[in-house]
Amino acid sequence: MYQNWIDLGLKKGITDLEVFAVRNKSLKLSVYQNKLDQHVQSDVESITIRGIYDNKLSTVRFENLSDVHVDQLLDALKANAKALTVVEPAIIYEGSKSYPEVKDELFDFGSVPVIKKIDLLKDLEQKILANPFVTQVQSTMYQEIDTETTLVNSKGLHLSRHNTYAYAYAIGVFQKEEDIKTAYDIKLAKNFDEFDVVKMAETTITKGVSSLGGTSMTSGEYPVVFSNEMFADILEVFTSIFSGEAAYRNMTFLKDKVNQQIAGKDINLIDDPLHPDAHFKTGFDDEGVACSKRYVVENGVFKGFNHNLKTASIFKEEPTGNGFHGGISTTNFYLEPQEKDFDTLILDIKDGVYITDLVGLHAGVKTVSGEFSLQASGFKIKNGKIDHPIKMIVVSGNFFDAINHVKGIGSDLKFGLSGVGSPSVYIESLMIGGEA
Amino acid sequence: MLKKVEIQELLNEALMTGADFAEIFLEDTKSSFIRVTSGDVTSIDRGNVFGAGVRLIQGVDEVYGFTNHVSYDSILAVVKNLRASFSGALTKVSPLGDKKPFKDDVKKPMNSVSVEEKSKVLQALSNQIKNYDSRIVQALSQLLETEQYVLIANSEGVYQDDKRTYSRVMLAAIAQENGLMQQAYEGPGRFMGFEIFDEVDFKTYANEVAESAVKLLSAEDMTAQVMPVVLHNAFGGVIFHEACGHPLEATAVAKGLSPFVGKLGQKVGSDIVTAYDDGDVDGAWGRLSYDDEGKPTQKNLLIENGVLKGYLIDYRNARKMKMEPTGSGRRQSYKFSPTSRMNSTYIAPGKDKFEDIIKDTKYGLFAKKLGGGTVVPATGEFNFAVQEGYMIEDGKLTRPVRGAMLIGHGKDVLFKIDKVSDNLEFGQGMCGSLSGSIPVDVGQPTIRVSSMTVGGAGGKK
Repeated sequence: MYQNWIDLGLKKGITDLEVFAVRNKSLKLSVYQNKLDQHVQSDVESITIRGIYDNKLSTVRFENLSDVHVDQLLDALKANAKALTVVEPAIIYEGSKSYPEVKDELFDFGSVPVIKKIDLLKDLEQKILANPFVTQVQSTMYQEIDTETTLVNSKGLHLSRHNTYAYAYAIGVFQKEEDIKTAYDIKLAKNFDEFDVVKMAETTITKGVSSLGGTSMTSGEYPVVFSNEMFADILEVFTSIFSGEAAYRNMTFLKDKVNQQIAGKDINLIDDPLHPDAHFKTGFDDEGVACSKRYVVENGVFKGFNHNLKTASIFKEEPTGNGFHGGISTTNFYLEPQEKDFDTLILDIKDGVYITDLVGLHAGVKTVSGEFSLQASGFKIKNGKIDHPIKMIVVSGNFFDAINHVKGIGSDLKFGLSGVGSPSVYIESLMIGGEA
Repeated sequence: MLKKVEIQELLNEALMTGADFAEIFLEDTKSSFIRVTSGDVTSIDRGNVFGAGVRLIQGVDEVYGFTNHVSYDSILAVVKNLRASFSGALTKVSPLGDKKPFKDDVKKPMNSVSVEEKSKVLQALSNQIKNYDSRIVQALSQLLETEQYVLIANSEGVYQDDKRTYSRVMLAAIAQENGLMQQAYEGPGRFMGFEIFDEVDFKTYANEVAESAVKLLSAEDMTAQVMPVVLHNAFGGVIFHEACGHPLEATAVAKGLSPFVGKLGQKVGSDIVTAYDDGDVDGAWGRLSYDDEGKPTQKNLLIENGVLKGYLIDYRNARKMKMEPTGSGRRQSYKFSPTSRMNSTYIAPGKDKFEDIIKDTKYGLFAKKLGGGTVVPATGEFNFAVQEGYMIEDGKLTRPVRGAMLIGHGKDVLFKIDKVSDNLEFGQGMCGSLSGSIPVDVGQPTIRVSSMTVGGAGGKK
């Protein structure tokens, strides 16, 4: 089928074509009050065709796979390419010399009876409900995903990858007097047996109960420690500033800063498609370029942008294997951990803040200027120890400034579902907005 | 797409094993995305979302399945798979009714205007932003057009199609000076075709975006404090959307996860607050003729003079709550089961004048433009970012400030609204929730909240 579309496109005068096909099968289950609340199953194949016409590249994405429809779309692709006014490198790739071997097990989650998955959620819900501070479990979720990706192009490249995983969590509602808090902990598994309900319930309860009774705090300037999960969330928002596209479009302050010191000397930011602790591994990007481990920032020095084929050609550099979803993104991007465990990390903080939750990252961060201002909650740090919970505060600062004032990096590297990872990070000082 | 008799047959099959409600949702959506950067047309992409979603309900229990293989056989396979979740007696299916006409007054549909013509209009706007000031280093203009065709059929006889035509223009400017970069953007959208360019004054928007990015270069960082906040009209309505709109959705209410549970007929805000969610505002980004469950959309009164009057309810939650659905069942695509969502949500105009509200404020923040926000319905805690703000000192707008973040509690903020002006406007956004990302309007006249926690990076020693 894919080769037929390529042949049809070539016949229409399109110079080169690439078919990128993703077949996604999924099962999603939710239990509420010991009953199955949601059961969603799906099987969707979506196609992206990129084609070069008039030396310019255009893209069509579709789910209606009928020949008539594809024929129409290829005509649209030609018309769209023709209407582009800018001539930028348009490349369909002949392939890398070699591709790294991806050691990632596949597991057929479909072979586990559905009832076992429902029971997992029921069990998780009951175990969380057993805690006296839990008023209810707002929702539980189990999802398994099986993704097969195929890339075929007119340069003779044919690559494929297959990925299976599942995740589960429950959101508990915790209450102590008037104070209500929600808490959850997502567990991602590559094999169904990895789900440990006892541990999942414990983590959720610990998160919820410890945050109860939180108060606001006096506004001012404080040393701030971000939990590994929260600093990873912040890093994720800022991955876009390292993209060659952003450099080319004047949308990152890092333009013209290659090989310059942009962060403290102990900052190492790495993109590693095959990191053993990461949840997803890949040997090639969506354009068929081999992926490899790369320092983006090494000892605080910015080593260079993440590129797809187009931006690599514009900057006359090698593609870095970061061409994903029609643009540029990181694979497994993380801040390199150091030796200190958490207790040691916070030991010299007399009066500070430990942030375990951030809300509103899509709105409160400006990647261009580096400014962030975010609703947060967590704990006060007093005399080197975690103290009482705090909530309804705003933490504000500038990311570019913050990575130059890192006082400590923990050893607790953790990757999120997004593929971005971080250990806990201690920033010298940030502004906290709370009570007057 | 499928024939009516085939759909009828599939619905019959669906109810054979105990389900008492079945629904088939067919979708064919075309989209086009044109991007212009600094005057150059840099990408033109086409998209297509195509598939079928099948939903079965027994009592309040629901199963859902979807596929992009739209044929009788493949949907029958989904139906058989889903109905295996239920056991019980056969429920009789009502014969499918006739389609009712939907409003289709689009003047310039996507295919009636060439990509070259569309590109020219966008290039002019991009150039206008770029040429506004020498400090503007990047000027983006983008046009996203979507034509969503849906057909909804269910076992209660509903057989309804609908076509939704959306156009949205995103304008963005990046300004740079002495190593400092600032960005500003606007994204007006309508339920319209290319005639959006006849209806909306984009030249004014382009100037505003450029001006805003340049002004931010010299703005001071907001200093964290608790203070009165004047929220400007249009996108300022995101406060009501986050703080009250989401907690009034049946998804939150039916599970008791909302501060508004059990409060119908009770005072939930100050006397001057009246608010609606309207599914059928002419030409509005958030409108639909029929919701994604095939029910005509309607104007829903939510709060009247501070008293809670209604929730937003979908079919399934209506069963749970034993209340009527409100035409609020929406979903991003066939890949989502529908649930209660907002359309065009707004605070109704009051009697105050904008100028008087500023004059009456001795010290505070004027949030002229807001970015996005978030709410956790169970706790009622919300936040939203200020994109463009000014200090109010002695009743006058003074210094521009940047990086302000507002936080609060939904149940408190409505009581703290002490001024509502008469200048109602809408702003457009994409709202993400259980059933995906959908176009919505937020709206309000300029209002004042007597006290809010404002965060910011300013005041550093």
